Amino acid sequence: MTNYLYILALQIAEAESEGGLFDFNATLPLMAVQILLFMVILNAVFYNPVAKVLDEREEYIRKNLTQASDILAKAEAITKQYEKDLAQERREAQLIISVAQKEAQDIVALEIKQAQKDTELLVNEATSQLNSQKQKALSALEDQVNTLTEQIKSKLLSNQLIS
Amino acid sequence: MTYNLNCDISNSFYRLAEVEVGKHLYWEIAGFKLHGQVFIVSWLVMLALIIFALNGTRKLNQIPSGIQNFMEYVYEFLQDIAKNQIGEEDYRPWVPYISTVFLFIFGANWAGALIPWKLIQLPEGELAAPTNDINVTVALALLTSISYFYAGISKKGISYFSRYVQPTPILLPINILEDFTKPLSLSFRLFGNVLADELVVSVFALLVPILIPLPVMTLGLFASSVQALIFSTLSAAYIGEALEDHGH
Repeated sequence: MTNYLYILALQIAEAESEGGLFDFNATLPLMAVQILLFMVILNAVFYNPVAKVLDEREEYIRKNLTQASDILAKAEAITKQYEKDLAQERREAQLIISVAQKEAQDIVALEIKQAQKDTELLVNEATSQLNSQKQKALSALEDQVNTLTEQIKSKLLSNQLIS
Repeated sequence: MTYNLNCDISNSFYRLAEVEVGKHLYWEIAGFKLHGQVFIVSWLVMLALIIFALNGTRKLNQIPSGIQNFMEYVYEFLQDIAKNQIGEEDYRPWVPYISTVFLFIFGANWAGALIPWKLIQLPEGELAAPTNDINVTVALALLTSISYFYAGISKKGISYFSRYVQPTPILLPINILEDFTKPLSLSFRLFGNVLADELVVSVFALLVPILIPLPVMTLGLFASSVQALIFSTLSAAYIGEALEDHGH
């Protein structure tokens, strides 16, 4: 085992003579250029497309959010308007109902009054007819009484005259 | 030499667990020497990441589904690193750099830790995480340095350099020194961590080639991702520091 560690140590020692760990050469600038090239390629095939999609999505979400809040505000305004209209309509309906009720009551009262008047008229007429017939009857009776008294009187007078 | 002799003695199993430090597969292009093994693995890592990104962003919808969720999660995670360090106003142009640094280091470290590169024999050197080569980490660190200088100068012009005499001119040497220590610490932290992790795993595998190295490998995996996070966060912090106003 120590043998191999020895080999390792030898290798490291030997490496330093030929090449070695700190062997700077044209690899350095070429690698730098290569990495820059790699960056350009990745920028074209990875970063830019993904960034574009992410930006577009963000834009889309923001637009939709503002639209949604606009629509929400509109909906709220409409609801408020609707409630106002509803209250207004309710008030108007109440008014119409009360007016109609009053009208109906008026009509009923009027009818009742009319009917009462009619009955009264009828009653009056009947009473006056009755009265006039009574009067007529009375006058007829008076006439009869008068004739009767005349007859009685003439009878009595004639009796006296005879006797 | 003794090394060759010992190598012959060691059987193939131990060859599998061998450690090769500071040996490189040299390529020569136009008289410049390159570390081939670093490029091979880094190309594989980049290819894997690009294929992954292409696959994930092939069909992007307004409503995410499937892998798009994951891609968006990754992007937002990377964006948050930049946003937290640089600030809400200026972070946007720096997202690609910070993200790329993170993804590259992360991919490289995990590739080095997870893929059994030892199975592939190279004439010299070995395939491993590209970040265990000092050239790569210094390249990354220098890119960060250039980035924050560029960020500061493009935002404030020449008055960017007034920060060297703030809060007092006494700190001028320390402030200048900082510009050298930043890339130095960045590169050596990453290099040291990745290399040390690989060495520890290799040595453990050399001594006890079964089960015992597993916890260390797991720790190494964790440390690799932490290193990626640290490197990108510090890069973002330096850029943010260069961009911030000093309240004058």
